[in-house]
Amino acid sequence: MSWKKLAVIAAVSSLALAGCASTGGGTAAAGDHTDLKICVYTHGDGGTFWSVAQKGAEAAAADLGVTLDYQGSSNDSAKQAATIAAGVTGGCSGIAASAPDPAAIKDAMLAAHDAGIPTVTMNSGSSVFKDLGAFTHVGQDEIVAGQQAGLRFNDLGATKILCPIQEAANVGLADRCKGASETFSGEVVNFNLDGGLADIAGSEAKIQAALEADPAIDGIFALNADIATGAALAASDAAGRNAIIGTVDMSADALTAIKDGKMAFAIDQQQYAQGYMSVVLLYLNLTNAHELGGGLPIYTGPGFVTSDNVDAVMALVAAGTR
Amino acid sequence: MSAKNVNPILELKGVGKSFGNVVALRDVDLSVYPGQVTCVLGDNGAGKSTLIKILSGVHKASEGSFTLSGEEIEFNSPRDAMAKGIATVFQDLATVPLMSVWRNFFLGNEPKKWWKPLGILDMKMAKDTAKAELLNMGIDLRDTNQAIGTLSGGERQAVAIARAVYFGANVLILDEPTSALGVRQSGIVLKYILAARERGVAVIFITHNPHHAFLVGDHFFLLNRGRMTASFVREKVKLDELIQAMAGGAELDTLTHEINTIRQD
Amino acid sequence: MSPLTTTKSDERVQRVSFLTKALRRPELGALVGALVIFTIFAVVDTTGHFADLQGAAGWTHFAAPIGITAIFVALLMIGGEFDLSSGVMVGTAGLLMGNLVSEAGMGVFPAMLITLVFAGLVGFANGYLVIRTGLPSFIVTLATFFVLKGVNLAVTKLITGTVRVDGIDKGDGFEIARDWFATKIDIAGAQFQVSLFWWIGFTIFATWLLTRTAFGNWIFASGGDANAARNAGVPVARTKITLFVMTSVAAALVGAMTLLELRGMQAGQGIGQEFYYIIAAAVGGTLLTGGAGSAIGASIGAAIMGFAAIGIPYALWDQDWVATFLGVILFLAVLVNTWLSKQAKGARK
Repeated sequence: MSWKKLAVIAAVSSLALAGCASTGGGTAAAGDHTDLKICVYTHGDGGTFWSVAQKGAEAAAADLGVTLDYQGSSNDSAKQAATIAAGVTGGCSGIAASAPDPAAIKDAMLAAHDAGIPTVTMNSGSSVFKDLGAFTHVGQDEIVAGQQAGLRFNDLGATKILCPIQEAANVGLADRCKGASETFSGEVVNFNLDGGLADIAGSEAKIQAALEADPAIDGIFALNADIATGAALAASDAAGRNAIIGTVDMSADALTAIKDGKMAFAIDQQQYAQGYMSVVLLYLNLTNAHELGGGLPIYTGPGFVTSDNVDAVMALVAAGTR
Repeated sequence: MSAKNVNPILELKGVGKSFGNVVALRDVDLSVYPGQVTCVLGDNGAGKSTLIKILSGVHKASEGSFTLSGEEIEFNSPRDAMAKGIATVFQDLATVPLMSVWRNFFLGNEPKKWWKPLGILDMKMAKDTAKAELLNMGIDLRDTNQAIGTLSGGERQAVAIARAVYFGANVLILDEPTSALGVRQSGIVLKYILAARERGVAVIFITHNPHHAFLVGDHFFLLNRGRMTASFVREKVKLDELIQAMAGGAELDTLTHEINTIRQD
Repeated sequence: MSPLTTTKSDERVQRVSFLTKALRRPELGALVGALVIFTIFAVVDTTGHFADLQGAAGWTHFAAPIGITAIFVALLMIGGEFDLSSGVMVGTAGLLMGNLVSEAGMGVFPAMLITLVFAGLVGFANGYLVIRTGLPSFIVTLATFFVLKGVNLAVTKLITGTVRVDGIDKGDGFEIARDWFATKIDIAGAQFQVSLFWWIGFTIFATWLLTRTAFGNWIFASGGDANAARNAGVPVARTKITLFVMTSVAAALVGAMTLLELRGMQAGQGIGQEFYYIIAAAVGGTLLTGGAGSAIGASIGAAIMGFAAIGIPYALWDQDWVATFLGVILFLAVLVNTWLSKQAKGARK
């Protein structure tokens, strides 16, 4: 029986260690306001994009001396709603939530508002933050980003662009393609790449197939940096197409590709700032009763990274803060 | 004792079964009498399991007639057979190891209380009855709630037999009940076979062990390669004859001679 | 027999009965585990609310939707089969019901009825295919999972042009439906979801079904040894198909409740949940090989998941550890349950 006891001890210790070793969930600097708990509850999945946003929030919490509770829900709206509801009774002083599915979290957000907890939305939900009781939104408007991208593609001389959507249920991604089609002079073809992030090799094959099926496509508007470098670029090379590729969000690989001239641009929604600003906005509201934004969203993007400014940005991406 | 004035309860005439090209049984005649033990002997591959499956309703015979209590009959499923009073105790005993003794006892025949269609178990009746019936067979279980998998092989057979007898089997078919048991456990099972016989049940005892068959049998039928090769009545046969007939007489002589020759070298 | 023998056996019965009876219950390991985990989270809690009603409102919010389906997934597992399409069915049901209301203009209750019937048909198809083809249910329901996953996305896009269903609050009967299935109930100041009561109700119903009816006996037998069961006259095929139907309908009910609570549903909802149901069932004492288990245990398993979902943020732990946590408790739970069932079986050696 002793090995069973050992197993139990091992398990309990690993749980305890998990608590002690955690850096992400709870952060408190030797500051003045550790009694303030800022809760940032997103739909994120902990990947390259969201880990940067989380870092931003953590940095702000450390700089301001508040406690942070960051929770992602990996695109599960029901889970996000329940987390927010639990946060309302769990002592959150302020709540920032991403709202790709506003109706799902509406009740929980309004409950927070009714309980006197200030809320903001971040990353997605620029058009709905008021309905959710938030006083502003910090992020990038997806339609605007798409529109700017469309204009870029015009300047670069593309005539028909593929827009692969890697999260079918994400309305924000669809909006980017929609925005692009509003300003692009040629045709924007939406392409279903659902689950694409989990299977980059498969995504490459699918995009390659799409390119080969339609020789008129000469541009790809990727909506994620990993998709751009791992799938779009690779597919374009394999199909011998030399397509004009632009992406949303950045990664080290994406920036290298821009520097090498293989990719035209990356739109930076500056998610580090989304995380950072969420905490700052709530902090200012809690400590000095500020309500920033003027009833409008506060934009963190689109910022364009091209061969002109790529060097500076590269260093920061390598550090994991952009 | 003898079958002279009693009608057979079950009669097979010219029964055969084929699976595609393979002929498993051919031209089998079998008569089974109430209150008597009919042994079906045969080595592996003789067709015993096919015969049982026809008797218990799992398969339909390809040819021949099947008469129960004078009426010609055909079964569509084991449930049909059970409904007509033919109970089969398969080698796996049709018991579920993880379930309790009382649940196994009433498996497929659960007693219900209140409004029957609702299917609510009458647990008290089930537990009490299982305990009592087993006691009747001479098994005293401390607790019918224990998993049947915890009982010894002989005890499990006893539960299966007690179950079949309780549910009014007129014909009880036992498929190699002693094959996996030691001497002592086999003895226990043979005693239960006789107990069932006393209660007027027609027992069909399928085995490849002539010693066990001889201890309890009233009639003996031999199956070899799908055919009935011999039939004996208890009063008219000795154990040696039975063993000889089973072992294939002439073949065994030749084999013995060959081996003796080799061993002398 | 003789008075001497009877007295002896009575004595033995009294001495062994309570402990063996207790050990025999598959839920015991799960309950012990749940108490340990609850205590751990109560100790590391930074909010002061984990162990009170507020915290309970939080973890039951997470646990109830998992529990309702896990109960029937457990029954199915006891019956010897798996349903990997149970998670995606939650999404399919919500989307179907949502589309019927917002696009076809149907009333909420009729839409719900149609959705439940549809789920029943899918469950029937699952069961029928498993019985007919003889393929492992793991494979058959995996195929169903993929079919539904694609349908969820394609049909939603076809009908609404987007990947989610919206606007059901304008449907006829929405408020009443919400009151029954998705409203909040105030208990001593804490807001509980009404799904909690459905969860409790189903736990009681499923336990009664499993332990006190003939059908329950058939479930144990079909999973413990389908061949023996069939030979004993148990309608194994009918039992299994019924279990598949019940699982799909339960998942659909959870989908409907989620739709009413969230006022809409995304096309990806529910995918991945099927493993949580199986984990909850296994943690609660249901054997993966079938033949033994309990509905109460599955509910305890679901509760444990609720504890983790609330306890980890309340402890300000990194939520990335949730997955590791679930893996550890699954392993431990199965370990404890195996040990306990050995003790129970060894009641007579």
